[in-house]
Amino acid sequence: MSVLATAARPIGPTASRLARRHAWTVAVTAFFAVLLVWNASQTRNFGAFEIQTMLASTLALAYLAMAQSVVVIGGGIDLSVGALLVLANCLSARFMEHAGLGTALLVAVACLAVTSALGAFTGLIVTVSRIPAIIVTLATSFAWGGMALLVLHTPGGGAPAGFQALVLGSGNAWWPALLCLLAPLLLIWAPLRRSRAGIGVYALGSSDNAAYLSGVNPLRTRIVAYTFGGLLCGLAGLATTAFTGGGSPQSTIAMNATLNSVAAIVLGGVALSGGVGGLVGPVIAVWCLYLIPNIMLGLGVDPSYGEVVKGVVVVLVVLVGGLLRARRNRSA
Amino acid sequence: MTTSDQLLRVRGVAKRFGPVVALRSVDLAVAAGEIHALVGANGAGKSTLVKILSGVLRPDAGTIEVAGRPVRFRSPAHARTSGLAPVFQDPAFVPDLTVAENLRLTGTDPAAFRRRLDELAPGGVEFGEVAGVLPLPLLRMLDLARVLAHDPALLLLDEITAALPTDYADRVFAAIRNARAEGRSVLFISHRLLEVQEVCDRVTVLRDGRNVDTLRTADSSERHIVAAMLGERAAQAAVDPRRVAPPPRAWAGEPALEVHGLVDGHKLRDVSFTLTSGEVLGITSLEGQGQDELFAILAGDRRATGGEIIAGGRRLAARHPHQAIRNGLALVPSDRWEALLPQRPVRENLAIAHYNSPGRWGWINAERERRQVADAIQRLEIDTRAQAQAKRLSGGNQQKLTIGRWLVGGFTTLLCFDPTRGIDVGTKHQIYDLFRELAGAGKSVLMFTSELREIPLACDRVLVLYDGRVVAELPAAEAGEAALLSAAHGLADTLAEAERQ
Repeated sequence: MSVLATAARPIGPTASRLARRHAWTVAVTAFFAVLLVWNASQTRNFGAFEIQTMLASTLALAYLAMAQSVVVIGGGIDLSVGALLVLANCLSARFMEHAGLGTALLVAVACLAVTSALGAFTGLIVTVSRIPAIIVTLATSFAWGGMALLVLHTPGGGAPAGFQALVLGSGNAWWPALLCLLAPLLLIWAPLRRSRAGIGVYALGSSDNAAYLSGVNPLRTRIVAYTFGGLLCGLAGLATTAFTGGGSPQSTIAMNATLNSVAAIVLGGVALSGGVGGLVGPVIAVWCLYLIPNIMLGLGVDPSYGEVVKGVVVVLVVLVGGLLRARRNRSA
Repeated sequence: MTTSDQLLRVRGVAKRFGPVVALRSVDLAVAAGEIHALVGANGAGKSTLVKILSGVLRPDAGTIEVAGRPVRFRSPAHARTSGLAPVFQDPAFVPDLTVAENLRLTGTDPAAFRRRLDELAPGGVEFGEVAGVLPLPLLRMLDLARVLAHDPALLLLDEITAALPTDYADRVFAAIRNARAEGRSVLFISHRLLEVQEVCDRVTVLRDGRNVDTLRTADSSERHIVAAMLGERAAQAAVDPRRVAPPPRAWAGEPALEVHGLVDGHKLRDVSFTLTSGEVLGITSLEGQGQDELFAILAGDRRATGGEIIAGGRRLAARHPHQAIRNGLALVPSDRWEALLPQRPVRENLAIAHYNSPGRWGWINAERERRQVADAIQRLEIDTRAQAQAKRLSGGNQQKLTIGRWLVGGFTTLLCFDPTRGIDVGTKHQIYDLFRELAGAGKSVLMFTSELREIPLACDRVLVLYDGRVVAELPAAEAGEAALLSAAHGLADTLAEAERQ
């Protein structure tokens, strides 16, 4: 009888526990709301056009932050996300130039296949060689950057306008960019997060020993994480092509993008030690990082200060978040 | 017994790590429906054998047969599908995942899990709770319940009762007996010979990487088992504490450490005691009676909300362990990984505290360091075969490092939290002897222990904590297990009454 009674007990998480688990995402969203209202108050007739601009110009970095999140949650780090973005950007810009929409979409699929395969390869090397991920991905970042230069020697290439509108929308149409952003989250991440492979990614990042003893296959799990990361890097490259209407193989773009992705995941509540966080927080963090320089501009401050403020915000948020987490652990 | 009755048969299994031989050659047979104990001193090879049997490590030589069929485990998951399921001291629950997610990770049926858990932890657990916030004893119960839910043929329990409260340990024993009744076998690894005698059918003794004896617990005394593990002296000690215990004596030394009315929220309500130089003072209690907070405060790692600590005649308000150390209070924490530098050599692990007080101009006197380290290694008989990295030493030798560090660094009062947890009888006696020796030289030792039987062996006097208060104080020689246990359960009044009658 008692067995039946206990088995009937609800096993889903309660609302308060859900809130506690996702406290960071909630906090970042609130922070974003404040920034958005502030920015809106600075702009006359703030509306769909501004939203479209924000979504379109942050789409690439949002994908990249998601890519970095998956890998870091799995206990690794990927310094090659920026280089992979540049590679996908150059590949697509070269082969989409003068192409129709149909061909452009085929090229896009091929680019995603390439970056996913390169991601899987990275995961394989990291697991089999046992070389720290930071070293392996530093090395692969050089390799992908070099390949991008082979594909496109100088900035150039192009993308059909139809493709650009499909990915980013245009004018007041802000929903295409949002749909493109949500597609991998809903179609791949949501089912993965609930599958054994996705739980394995969290498990591996949280405690590799406990994960191994629980039967998680480290090789397969890391390959899953890096492959999904590679796919998202490819999406980031395509978003860049759509946004800039061309490709540019410069390594500074790759470096900047990589460092911004790390800043975004840290701000978005992903623990660099692995096992903690999600993909939504980092995306909202990317929007925050976009709005800060805009607000500075609206205040009439030199935009260079915007970058300084961005840095200060990252440190402050992580500091305050860390203190709150520590206090909660002490009281628990 | 014929071969077909044996569920598990291990023949000539050997394993070495670089120059260190962990297992020379082990034969072991566990019958179906048998609770079989595996005992041995630290470094005898128990942990290595369990890791091989659970698929974590691969043997260099030898064969393993399960139900007559030879097997070679590729991974823990593979061993589990062959029916061998381990529960380790550190639970295999991923801390950042919820209980439900942990179950999905292993493909465990939640209903079967809950049925098993109801026997082990009647309070139950919320499946949505993150595993990392659950207390360790409960996590072990979850781990055991999960393993049982998979219907294993053989349970491998590695020190599952270490640091487990008595009520949990009793439920574990009940579950083990149940498992036997269901026809499962259990390989039970423990340092607590009393448990082994009580629960197990047979016991295999390992020494130096070999199986030296297999006995039926029913026909062999505890002393017999200890003798097989070690040698005669330790066997005597385990049987008759008085033979190695210090003679009761009056202490009239100077107070080394005085604690007056120490309060820390609701964890420590009012603790006062005096520790004189030349004294070993024991403290014991059940889990969570304020002992963790008391030691953390004394070591400068936590701040009290009230009360006073006087060390060496001076009022101490340490805001940092550094200040406590400077005032002569040195902590040996319960978890040795909190103290060790696992990647660094033995020598640095011993000398680290000494770096606080370098010579003039901040130079470290290498010659003096070498001398003091060598002295500590010799005094504690630390096995330095694997000295290049502390993490490669056996548990007992690692514990010796955490104590030896303060022999090198210097102290007036040593704060030891469960210094003998999970280490073998021989090393335990070395530690007791060391404490006596230190006391004889005018130092003082404050030692928390959850093992009541070691109090008369090591201490002069014992305090019992209950609910953040000192509820009993006894000379160690008079501290019988019954008296201590009733005090630890908060039955001090009945205790005092019983004494009056």
